[in-house]
Amino acid sequence: MELTVAVTDERPVDTRVVASCQQGDREAFRLLFETHKDKVYSIALYFFGGDAALASDITQQVFLKLFTRIGQFRHQSEFTTWLYRLTTNTCIDEQRRRRRFSPLPDALGETPRGHGGASATPAAEARFMRLEIADSVRDAIGSLKPKLRIAILLKYFEELSYEEIAAVLNCSKGTVASRLNRGHRILAQRLGHLRANVLSGD
Amino acid sequence: MFGQRHVKDQLTAYAHGELPADESARVAAHLGACARCRAEFEEISYGIRLVESLTTQAAPANLWEGIEAALAQESFRDNQREHAARSDSPEKTARRSRRLGSWRLGSLLPGNLLNGRLAGWRPALAAGLVLLFVLGAGGASWFYLRSTRASWEVARLQGAPSIDADRMGSTGRLGIGEWLETDADSRAQIKVADIGQVEVDPGTRIRLVETRLTEHRLELARGRMHATIYAPPRLFFVDTPSAVAADLGCAYTLEVDDAGRSTLHVTAGWVAFETKDRESMVPAGAACLTRPGIGPGTPFFEDASELFLDSLAKFDFAGGGTDALQAIVAEARPRDTLTLWHLLARTEGDERSRVYERLAALAPTPAGVTREGIMRLDPAMLYEWKAQMEPTWMADSMPDMHGTWGNLRADSPTPRVIRKARNYLK
Repeated sequence: MELTVAVTDERPVDTRVVASCQQGDREAFRLLFETHKDKVYSIALYFFGGDAALASDITQQVFLKLFTRIGQFRHQSEFTTWLYRLTTNTCIDEQRRRRRFSPLPDALGETPRGHGGASATPAAEARFMRLEIADSVRDAIGSLKPKLRIAILLKYFEELSYEEIAAVLNCSKGTVASRLNRGHRILAQRLGHLRANVLSGD
Repeated sequence: MFGQRHVKDQLTAYAHGELPADESARVAAHLGACARCRAEFEEISYGIRLVESLTTQAAPANLWEGIEAALAQESFRDNQREHAARSDSPEKTARRSRRLGSWRLGSLLPGNLLNGRLAGWRPALAAGLVLLFVLGAGGASWFYLRSTRASWEVARLQGAPSIDADRMGSTGRLGIGEWLETDADSRAQIKVADIGQVEVDPGTRIRLVETRLTEHRLELARGRMHATIYAPPRLFFVDTPSAVAADLGCAYTLEVDDAGRSTLHVTAGWVAFETKDRESMVPAGAACLTRPGIGPGTPFFEDASELFLDSLAKFDFAGGGTDALQAIVAEARPRDTLTLWHLLARTEGDERSRVYERLAALAPTPAGVTREGIMRLDPAMLYEWKAQMEPTWMADSMPDMHGTWGNLRADSPTPRVIRKARNYLK
């Protein structure tokens, strides 16, 4: 049984590194952290509408939980599934807690942003436009319901398949499809005014 | 029926290629015929386009420091808890510790540990509970730890060992800073806190440097000792004049001669033999030498050919250079990949490629490990390749390892060389 697991494992590096972590090996922890930190950070960053300090906190929390619970990981699922489940739960818990203590508006924030304002050249204007679009998309994602938001982030930052997302979120593939569909539609509607800029962007 | 039902709920899955072939064909056919769904598809495609414009952001560089600090804090608490539960035998405690992992924070992790942004009542309550636990259950043992942990029990095995020049009786205590000495006819055994024991051979001078919950350290000035440690890695260290032996869950013999040169033989698990900027990972069955001023040499198996061992000593300690390396490479057997793997990070340019070629001939590279990656000391590839070679290194060396040591065979720690390689890449 164990042999089968070892032989059929598609991610031997992760598996071995995880096993070393389970032995308390700090270098293995570091390796795991370095490998996955940017993706975890990006999910948290976009989940919380670009709040870098909060994303840093979340990333640290996720890895602390990961390292301290690694003894419980039994290789019954992919390591990454476990990691993104931790990430998802940490983001959603934090979102709940923040709502309870300092409610955030759940609507699309139309915060004005100052990306240079009076830009002289067309190239600079195009650059500011790209930043403007990125900011708007980030804000719009941040305003989606958490369930839709996390499905989109897992899809685009982790490049997970529907099946993998379903495993992380503990739901069916159909639910994943429907959440993504709703998420995309809402984003398209909310950012309709940027359509010309986005489509002419490249 | 075909193509009649609207498809607006399937459009994202269709765009992502997540629909079964027949369903995908139905959506395509329907889109050709239904303007409403086509408009919807354009909308969804625009939504997808928007999200695809986002890029992965690099996490700030200082996150690891915060994590490490929090882990260290928790590791300290963990040790306190374990000491508080001293009624268990040391072995049982160590086994439990290993089973649960040495750094569990579990649900007690205060959410505001890192910078206070995430304060809330639950973390505060949890932190309070931890404090109560430590103060209550651990309180009495704290005085015990303070008063008695600062020295280790020593038992006389033979002859007349002395502690700080006083002859000891059948038992004694070795305090911080005190020297235990054995003459040509005496032997002693030191109990290393709750984590293991050290047998001290005749003609040895050894000192207790530090014993804390998170670090136990001896200094071996001369002579020979045998350590058996059952604890999480990197809790027990032995300083020698030319390198530090860091326990990674193991048993080993360490010997220091009058010139300060040391020899390490590992009998179970792994030992990291290290100085500030050099590290050798020594598995069971292998050995490693050090020289003052140079630090640990490259680990090797003693049953290698004489020419191999001579050349390795020349390469490590006598500036043997290319000629010595040539002989090492030519003489290496499959098991000597232990030595060759370490040499990758200790050579450069042509020499590294020579080591790589031989290594690849003896131990085929696993999928995903490339020559180019190894040549630039890619940490993950070095790690992966090493993992593949380990069974060859372990094959003859651990015939009877179950129980406490059983889980040490499967996987080994990540060497510091990988971290160094990573720094080198930055």
